[in-house]
Amino acid sequence: MNPYILTILLFAMGLGTTITFASSHWLLAWMGLEINTLAILPLMCQSHHPRAVEATIKYFLTQATAAAMLLFASITNAWITGQWNLEFMSYSLPTTLVTVALALKIGLAPLHAWMPEVLQGLDLTTGLILSTWQKLAPFCLLLQINPSNTSLLLILGLASTLVGGWGGLNQNQLRKILAYSSIAHLGWMILVLQFFPSLTLLTLLMYFVMTFSLFISFKVNNSTTINSLSMSWSKTPIISSMVPFILLSLGGLPPLSGFMPKWLILQELTKQSLAPLATLAALSALLSLYFYLRISYAMTLTMSPNTLLNALPWRLPSNQHTLPLAITTSLTICLLPLTPAITALLTL
Amino acid sequence: MLKILIPSMFMLLTTWTSPFKQLWSTILMYSFLVATLSLTWLAMPTDTGWFYINNYMAYDPLSSPLLVLTCWLLPLMIIASQNHLAAEPENRQRTYISLLISLQIFLILAFSATEMIMFYVMFEATLIPTLIIITRWGNQMERLNAGTYFLFYTLAGSLPLLVALLIYHSSMGSLSYLSLTSLPLTCSNLYADKLWWMACLLAFLVKMPLYGVHLWLPKAHVEAPIAGSMVLAAVLLKLGGYGMMRIMIILDPLTKELSYPFIILALWGVIMTGSICLRQTDLKSLIAYSSVSHMGLVAAGILIQTPWGFTGALILMIAHGLTSSALFCLANTNYERTHSRTIILARGLQMVLPLMATWWFLASLANLALPPLPNLMGEIMIITSLFNWSFYTLILTGLGTLITASYSLYMFLLTQRGPIPHHLILLEPSHTREHLLLALHLLPLLLLIAKPELVWGWTA
Repeated sequence: MNPYILTILLFAMGLGTTITFASSHWLLAWMGLEINTLAILPLMCQSHHPRAVEATIKYFLTQATAAAMLLFASITNAWITGQWNLEFMSYSLPTTLVTVALALKIGLAPLHAWMPEVLQGLDLTTGLILSTWQKLAPFCLLLQINPSNTSLLLILGLASTLVGGWGGLNQNQLRKILAYSSIAHLGWMILVLQFFPSLTLLTLLMYFVMTFSLFISFKVNNSTTINSLSMSWSKTPIISSMVPFILLSLGGLPPLSGFMPKWLILQELTKQSLAPLATLAALSALLSLYFYLRISYAMTLTMSPNTLLNALPWRLPSNQHTLPLAITTSLTICLLPLTPAITALLTL
Repeated sequence: MLKILIPSMFMLLTTWTSPFKQLWSTILMYSFLVATLSLTWLAMPTDTGWFYINNYMAYDPLSSPLLVLTCWLLPLMIIASQNHLAAEPENRQRTYISLLISLQIFLILAFSATEMIMFYVMFEATLIPTLIIITRWGNQMERLNAGTYFLFYTLAGSLPLLVALLIYHSSMGSLSYLSLTSLPLTCSNLYADKLWWMACLLAFLVKMPLYGVHLWLPKAHVEAPIAGSMVLAAVLLKLGGYGMMRIMIILDPLTKELSYPFIILALWGVIMTGSICLRQTDLKSLIAYSSVSHMGLVAAGILIQTPWGFTGALILMIAHGLTSSALFCLANTNYERTHSRTIILARGLQMVLPLMATWWFLASLANLALPPLPNLMGEIMIITSLFNWSFYTLILTGLGTLITASYSLYMFLLTQRGPIPHHLILLEPSHTREHLLLALHLLPLLLLIAKPELVWGWTA
């Protein structure tokens, strides 16, 4: 893409999210979300492939619906309470509508159906932006409203973890797997939103780091299906050895960093006397772990015992910038001992 | 404690920076050094208190035998793996050794943890290196399935444990072992408390394994390479037993009624898995089911909650660890020669490898709990404490002992005695390395006859 246009689009995306962060008026928040959506649309269909265009249209329609619902909710709130301030939503109808609208925006179950197909149509970099940056603005709004209905968020959260687990089991396309993984992680974030919002932020940031590592690892190997990962050990042996750890961290296994958000969320849920919910959520993480394990089997754990004598893919010199990958992979693996420090930082 | 942990962590560095020609010798010598230093943990004055290291790690007469077993096993695993890894590229050999060392570090941290969440994190942490060893270096296609079963059985049991520990923490405020004795849960009859009791124990019962949830063990033990089988049989199963012994303190009033079905299931498992052993054609599978059988007895001994029960369980865990690991090494000597695990394919070996037959004999005798070996001491103490609880368990345990003796003798007679088939006359003779390995397994077992006080836990 033309570098000037790319710059304008990326700045516009940044602007949109920043406007939403900085806003205390509902109209401004809505505006930021819309700018964000509109800016990413050209990025999504830049390859003009029919699947990419279809994904763009689906994304546009769902996000526009969500934004319209958000606008409607804020207008209703203004009509009832007479003010447009973000924090003072005290009636249940607007609050519930806002929650559902934002759930559609980020792709929580049962409003998740657009996510796998949209991610499948994008290339890995744009998919990464969709999974990470685009979640920031809606979460900013979710963290600021006071939820009226306790069980709504819990239902959204539990349904997302279950759907994210079960949906990914039948996939062999990596981008769809990453979409379902995103849905599952968003479920965990929403579960604890009303009890301890800092943990939502912690989970979000940990998810960003882990999924960044995974997307970039797949991009370096230029692979989009599980089968094409199987030759990555000959192209990038070190990255192939690290990916199982990234995947197991996404699955939430100790002693990797991905255990940190799950542990803290389970602790908070048990403190709130929601132990059966906590157990169900924890067990649903096992479903996701199964397909993460399957990817790591295909990529690394079935590596050939020694150098092969047949033809291997060319190992062309790569000018990919792997430093961000190195940083985020180290964070994904080694951050668990810093749990107290990170919790303290985020509770400020 | 730090004089063991820090050298272990630096062993990782040594693995990657040694010159390749000296890699195995260096690591072997280093790990023997660490193992020798770890023997100081056994020297306890005669009280039953903790030996405080720092806020997070301590050891006591329950955990020190298991810690010493862990440290002792690493050099043995190195000796055992040297041959089958010799053909691999250099970096893969270094990776394998790093996995074994990191497994040892996690195990040391698990056994010396003073707080239950730390124990939990390390308990789960041992899963990852073991999974990688099984699925990457196992030899048959079934290893992927084995790894999946291993991981998911263990995790499905341990996630409820995490929630149960967090529930206890939120109501009692602390999960440190040091204060657990003074913080038992108040007795109540709610259904939820029974579920909580179950959640606390399920992880350890799956790990031990208990008979109904034991399916992961034959798969994992059979498909793992020799070092993986050794560490699984010798130490990882004992993590389950150790965890159960630690957590029994807080489960107190509920255990009297709730443990009934699990004791019976464990004893029934002793008989059932023993009977399955009599029908096995795969040598490693036989040894794996024999592990399930012995650990069923250990589980019953722990659930009884008497001093003799705990002592018997601990002694049987240590003795079984050494014996089972020795049997796996013996099976590996067969595997390296014939590349098959079928028993009848490598029979009558006493004619060709007489000294190895001695080790087979000793290991089989240890497996069937011959006096005066510590295996017998453990089994007798558990059987006695079960008899004290109910007379009828004697039928099950007696039958179990009989079946154990039959399959151990069956294994010995089938592999060693009888006419040697023609295809085995040209077998490669036993290496000194193999004799060393088995001697290092069985000598501690024989020495423990003289001083079982080292491994019998709190009973002073």
